[in-house]
Amino acid sequence: MVALTLIAVLDIFLFLLVGAWTVGGGETMITGLVAQFFLGDELSRIPFWNLVFVPDAGYWKIYISLGMLFGAIVSAVLSKEFYLRFPRRLGEWVMITIGGLLMGFGIRLAFVCNVSTFFGLTPQMNLGGYLAISGILAGAWVGSWIYKKVLEG
Amino acid sequence: MSVIGECLVAFVFGSIVGLLVQRSRFCNTAALRDAMLFKTYRNTKPLLMGMMILTFGFTLFLTFGEGKAMHFDVGLNQVAGLFVFGIGMVLAGACTVSTWVKAGEGNVGAMWALLFTFIGMFLFSLLWSENFWPPASISMTGEPNLEALQLGFINARTLQDKFGVPAVIFGMVQVFLLGLIYRAIVKKEQAQLLEHDKVAAAHKVEFAEAA
Repeated sequence: MVALTLIAVLDIFLFLLVGAWTVGGGETMITGLVAQFFLGDELSRIPFWNLVFVPDAGYWKIYISLGMLFGAIVSAVLSKEFYLRFPRRLGEWVMITIGGLLMGFGIRLAFVCNVSTFFGLTPQMNLGGYLAISGILAGAWVGSWIYKKVLEG
Repeated sequence: MSVIGECLVAFVFGSIVGLLVQRSRFCNTAALRDAMLFKTYRNTKPLLMGMMILTFGFTLFLTFGEGKAMHFDVGLNQVAGLFVFGIGMVLAGACTVSTWVKAGEGNVGAMWALLFTFIGMFLFSLLWSENFWPPASISMTGEPNLEALQLGFINARTLQDKFGVPAVIFGMVQVFLLGLIYRAIVKKEQAQLLEHDKVAAAHKVEFAEAA
């Protein structure tokens, strides 16, 4: 509760400076930069990387994500909670793989992820926030149903 | 603000968020999943609290035309996209924030989820390049475009401009509604606790009789 209160207050400052806390745009840009590294000019033949996301390392959203990784590493090391842990069962690997793919695909389809939904669009009373919340509630319900079936089976 | 300044501010903000989320173990996925599957609300309450603070703060500044609000047309793609995302986050056991934070704790599963989030995004970029839906922001007008299943751009500020009522008033209505949900959860928790005490007391009697 304390953590989220602090994050909310900081997010208001961020909103005034550059824009509300968002995750997803940074990931897309990282995807684009990595793809550019491997494909070179080939990438610009795919319209998405020309019209929607032109790879640019100066995109501020990337650094929110890198910051979260950095902050978490520092915090985990300081509290002696950093250690490598692996999913044990094959089923977990499969679920994580499918889950990751669906998350990446869904973010780009919607332009937003869960963070922008709950901490960006909805607090700005953007119509998209309510549309996104209806989607994520239905999705989480279906996901929970599948998760339960997998746990039981 | 310069590009470097923006990136620096973003990095500092991200670092503090990473630290706070790692310490508090807040997880947005758990906020929804645990409420649905287990009827527990440890993460749901802070989520609502954060939303209440932000709604008040954002709409207050939007009233005076301050702040950088997200500006793009919305439509059916938000419902569909977050539906797909919602399934994915429960299966992966983490949302975008917790994948980064758990990756920072050395969780290889989270790193794997992140890798496939990137791959999912790349696959989407290929599909988009075939059908060009949802429309790119350069072709957005702010008006409903029903052919593309888009409803245009509406937020607290456009409401203010349209109805002449300050955005923060709309914001306070939303804070009140979120507060009602919060109160309903607290009441439900109290009822659960009462039920738990009752069951525990009943067991105690049974044990006493057996002894």
